[in-house]
Amino acid sequence: MRQPEHPSWEEELMAYADGELQTDQAERVALHLQSCSECAGAVAEAKKLSAQMAVWQVEEAPSKLSESVAFELQKTAGRRRETRSGSGWWTRGRVWTYGVAGTFAAVMLVAFALTPSLLRSRQSATESHADLQELQLDQSQQGQEGQGQQGDSMESAISPKRREAQQRAPGSSQSSTGPMVIRMIRLTLITKEFDKARTKIETTVQDARGYVDQMTVRSNPGAAKSLVAVLRFPSDSLDAELAELRKLGQAKEESQNTSDVTGQYTDLVARLTNARNTEQRMLALQRERTGKLPEVVEVEREIGRIREEIERMEAEQKNLNNKVQYATVHVDLTEEYHAQLEPSAPSAGTRLRNAAVEGYAGAKETGLGMLLWALMYGPTLVLWALILAPLGFLVWTMQKRTVRN
Amino acid sequence: MMQTDEQLMLEFQGGSARSFEELFRRYRNPVYGFFRRRLNYGARAEELAQETFVIIIRGADHYEARAKFRTYVYGIAMKQLWSERRKVMREAKAMAEPFEEDHETDPAAGMWVKDALSRMDPDHREVLMLREYEQLPYEDIADVLAVPINTVRSRLSRARAELRTLLDQQSVKGVSR
Repeated sequence: MRQPEHPSWEEELMAYADGELQTDQAERVALHLQSCSECAGAVAEAKKLSAQMAVWQVEEAPSKLSESVAFELQKTAGRRRETRSGSGWWTRGRVWTYGVAGTFAAVMLVAFALTPSLLRSRQSATESHADLQELQLDQSQQGQEGQGQQGDSMESAISPKRREAQQRAPGSSQSSTGPMVIRMIRLTLITKEFDKARTKIETTVQDARGYVDQMTVRSNPGAAKSLVAVLRFPSDSLDAELAELRKLGQAKEESQNTSDVTGQYTDLVARLTNARNTEQRMLALQRERTGKLPEVVEVEREIGRIREEIERMEAEQKNLNNKVQYATVHVDLTEEYHAQLEPSAPSAGTRLRNAAVEGYAGAKETGLGMLLWALMYGPTLVLWALILAPLGFLVWTMQKRTVRN
Repeated sequence: MMQTDEQLMLEFQGGSARSFEELFRRYRNPVYGFFRRRLNYGARAEELAQETFVIIIRGADHYEARAKFRTYVYGIAMKQLWSERRKVMREAKAMAEPFEEDHETDPAAGMWVKDALSRMDPDHREVLMLREYEQLPYEDIADVLAVPINTVRSRLSRARAELRTLLDQQSVKGVSR
């Protein structure tokens, strides 16, 4: 039998001792070790050294380490679920590739879908911004009041009613199990008996257990009376109340807009439940933990942040519930003879006085304008005159000599 | 059948906190031990172990399955350790030489090994410790330290010879005392 080859490097023996050699190499070294006491000694020495080193053991990781990592895990788990809901096959390269392609496709699709229905889109956009219009209406009416017109904002008087109505609302803070639909109606009416119609609106709202969100009545001299109101009726009785409102006068315009928020509501409830559970876990962690001050402060800060988030979501939930349970009716009521009214013509004396005032103002403006022009261009003209004067004088002198000759 | 570390990490990327808890259970003591053997203070070792896991949690999106999770973990831990040592040197505080304190917590035999390791060439020591205590294969050691695998082989061979010499010197001193 041929003597196996002596390993050329001690490294190979170390690799054999560590189990790092391929099978055929390991077999070759093992065969060699049977007949080479020197190499067998080196391998035995390496194994002995490993055993000696293994004597140095350290204690197990403290339990606080688990708590700290569990805390970090809880903190980031929610964010990760939101951002990576089951998309394990995504990589950065794919995100970029599919992101760019998806964006391009979405832009093309939106452009294709929107172009042929431009008018319809405008109309729906107008309807969907009813809330914004209400706000603008309120602001413009406040502005008009500031300019001396007679206004009659009922906001302060309505608020207690609204609060009362909200308290009466069945399950106003409870979640709904059926489809969540927000209804908004816009009603433009012309009436012959304005005061009677206004009283009827208030009675209808009270009978329906709704409330007046906002109402503004305008009664300017020489102009028709008008009323703009935002009414909230329980969704269940909306149709009956609308029929009552239509009787107030001639319906000039009526539009309805509904919005299904079931998905949004379900998502909100799920996020709220998660946040509440997280808060409970954090509070438990805070009670049981006896960590370092910065960690305790960090936990408290996190609890504060989650509480703030919960309160924001609860407010959003209440708002959604309220919008679903109470339909919004926007009423625009005007007296019928508005177009027939003409302002009375001023007297001759007033017209003469107005003409005199306007003439004086015009003369004053003209004079002021000339003065301004002179101040603006005068210095430049003087400068040019000084530059051109010697030249003019020279020309004049030469012309004079020519005439003499 | 037990899931591999890589499978668990991919599940964690997909949002499974339970998978990370299992990973943490597997690596909790090894990562703590990694720092504990290389730093003088147990509290600091705990902090760095915690930071290592926090980095893994927060940077889970950056993990790609082609990298071994074990290499990934020790790669992060090694960077933490280098950063810590640079910081200590900058601040010129204690720990001028590693492996000097906490002797009272170690058995006598372990203390000898610790003392001998502290006097080794740092490059040799690191390779040897990764092999003996973290039980990393040569290939993984090469990845963690960012050196060629042949360098790992040669350093390991020389590290063992160096440690053997140091331990022999200690036993001679011990006998002569």
